[in-house]
Amino acid sequence: MRNLDDATVTAFGAELDALRAETIASLGAADVDHIRKMIRLVRYSEAGGRALLHLGIGPLTFALGVSALAAAKILENMEVGHNVMHGQYDWTRAADLDGRSYEWDIVCTGDDWRHSHNFEHHTYTNILGVDRDIGYGLVRISELQPWEPAHLVQPISAVVLALLFQWGVALHDLRITETIAGRQSVAKLRERARPFLKKAAWQLAKDYVVTPALALWNAPRVFAGNFLANGIRNVWSFAIIFCGHFPEGVVIYRAEDVETESRGRWYQRQLAGSANIEGGRLMHVMSGHLSHQIEHHLFPDLPAARYPELAPKVRAICEKYGQPYLTGSFRAQLGSVAKQILRRALP
Amino acid sequence: MSRPMHRSRPTALARSAWRRWFLDRTAEFWLGELRATWSLTEQRARVTGVRSETVDAKTFTITTPRAWPGHVAGQYVPVEVEIEGVRVRRCYSISSGGSEPGRQSIEITVKSVPGGRVSTWMHAHLAVGAVVRLGAPSGEFTVTAPAKLLLIGAGSGITPVAAIVRDLVARGAAHDVIVVEAARSDADAIFAGELAALATLRSIAHPGSPALHHAVQVIAHRGPLDAAALRAYAPDLATREVYVCGPAPVMDLVAALVGPRVHLERFAPAAPARNPGAATRARVHLAVANRTVEITRGTLLEGLERAGERPAHGCRMGICNSCRCTKTSGTVEDLVTGTISSEPDQEIRLCVSAAHSDLELSL
Repeated sequence: MRNLDDATVTAFGAELDALRAETIASLGAADVDHIRKMIRLVRYSEAGGRALLHLGIGPLTFALGVSALAAAKILENMEVGHNVMHGQYDWTRAADLDGRSYEWDIVCTGDDWRHSHNFEHHTYTNILGVDRDIGYGLVRISELQPWEPAHLVQPISAVVLALLFQWGVALHDLRITETIAGRQSVAKLRERARPFLKKAAWQLAKDYVVTPALALWNAPRVFAGNFLANGIRNVWSFAIIFCGHFPEGVVIYRAEDVETESRGRWYQRQLAGSANIEGGRLMHVMSGHLSHQIEHHLFPDLPAARYPELAPKVRAICEKYGQPYLTGSFRAQLGSVAKQILRRALP
Repeated sequence: MSRPMHRSRPTALARSAWRRWFLDRTAEFWLGELRATWSLTEQRARVTGVRSETVDAKTFTITTPRAWPGHVAGQYVPVEVEIEGVRVRRCYSISSGGSEPGRQSIEITVKSVPGGRVSTWMHAHLAVGAVVRLGAPSGEFTVTAPAKLLLIGAGSGITPVAAIVRDLVARGAAHDVIVVEAARSDADAIFAGELAALATLRSIAHPGSPALHHAVQVIAHRGPLDAAALRAYAPDLATREVYVCGPAPVMDLVAALVGPRVHLERFAPAAPARNPGAATRARVHLAVANRTVEITRGTLLEGLERAGERPAHGCRMGICNSCRCTKTSGTVEDLVTGTISSEPDQEIRLCVSAAHSDLELSL
């Protein structure tokens, strides 16, 4: 990475600002058509999956039903929920695309997510001690994180986190470890836990009581199908999110490095703190365009479906200013993350 | 005719997460799939007729959904359409007479204003079968007590006046009504023929009524209105309740002439974007809190905080969207893009917006 002086960083930031402004000026019906198409896909995929699980017989319809339901949950969480909650479609002023009131099909509440993800993670990306998403407080992925004996088992805890990722994300926001360490009061934890418990209760009721009960004799099949669909979504979103920030080469920052940070330096940090996954349109849509993690971190409030067309322009700006642009195949990035998890398990 | 919007949207944020997930999105989606006008959260109405009144005025017939609360003749209704992916609302006077609650046929008459985003779009694209969203009808430009009336509609200001006349005639409540229908020329006059027909109809229906004296007398006026013309049309001006809707000079003229017996319906097409330079001082009205504060320099967020307000916020740099709110009126600059906008009902982020005029925010 080339070190940039203040004037150059300002110019770098201005080029990215111009790219953002240019995109905002071109937002229109095509963007709304895309997200509405995705919402429709989510709804029909969910309905189809449920129909196959509820009414089908045999393993084939079960597998198809689970796949359709898992695809619906992945698309809803990643391409619709995550992006809408960033306010990417607030400019439409449509009630169902409103970022501040959106609620998604996952145990983490939309309100918790809006705070921990939109504000903390996107503002303080990859700053140790502030961005709580670094390894989710469980996994050590940088030598800057102090080693603890508990990290020895992190190859196993990472797998458990992947399988239960929706619970990991939701519990993460409650700051239980901070309470244990005495940095958050028990009363505050209780206050944070209330909306989560409420949402977790109705999510569990929906997936494991109400929908199985509606299936009558097929209840065990629906129960198992919902469980598998949630699990598939968990593992997939874990993989995409870890590939976005933790492959080798992604920079982790110390709070003191970024105390007085200009907009240009913020862009620089977002760039160095993110990594892309190469792939086709299916990969991009199924990852909620987080395969374009770099573009997402530079422009979190632009409709994500625009990231593929922005990517070559961002890359050209990076080359011009000698900035790194980390990208690789899904396999390469996942392998790199796995290697990091294994290597950092040891001091 | 349209008028500026002042609405405070009931906040979706106050609803429980379950409600927002199930009722507001899941149920809403499937209802909409079953029928485009079905909804539990908003009034979706179908356009069932479009006709041209003049070269630049069209009347749209709209069938209201079952949730329609009904309205009184002379009121206006917020109409929301989607233009290039963006939902835009404008208020239009309902030009048909009063309506009962439920499925009803109502009409709005829209004059295409050059440069007017919504009116020109409606003229070009709003066709039979399209679905629009309606807000709650409101407005005080209504006739409540039977009295001698002088109704003045100038230009597209004729729309609520026509609604009142139609309603009075339909209810047989027009006892002594003078209607001044003013337009630049015959070609510009909306409803001229129809209003004239209403006047004739009444004189036939009451052949024995004393001289003066159609129950409804309609005067077509062409060119600018002045006090002398009004006195000639209604010599007993001093004894009449006066209703006037039209351009500001006409309303000012009538208000000066009549005094407290005047009922005004003010309207203005959406203010064009202007660039007055960042205001050093601006008054900000917070509609939800119902407070007005004065802010100086800097971003709206900083200004509001200096004024003692504590609006929700996060990153303070235009990333996280926590401080987003609706600006219902006024001009702001987006400090990231430099865009200056006077669009009503615009979503803005307080931390990257600066006031260029007095504002109203839904906070």
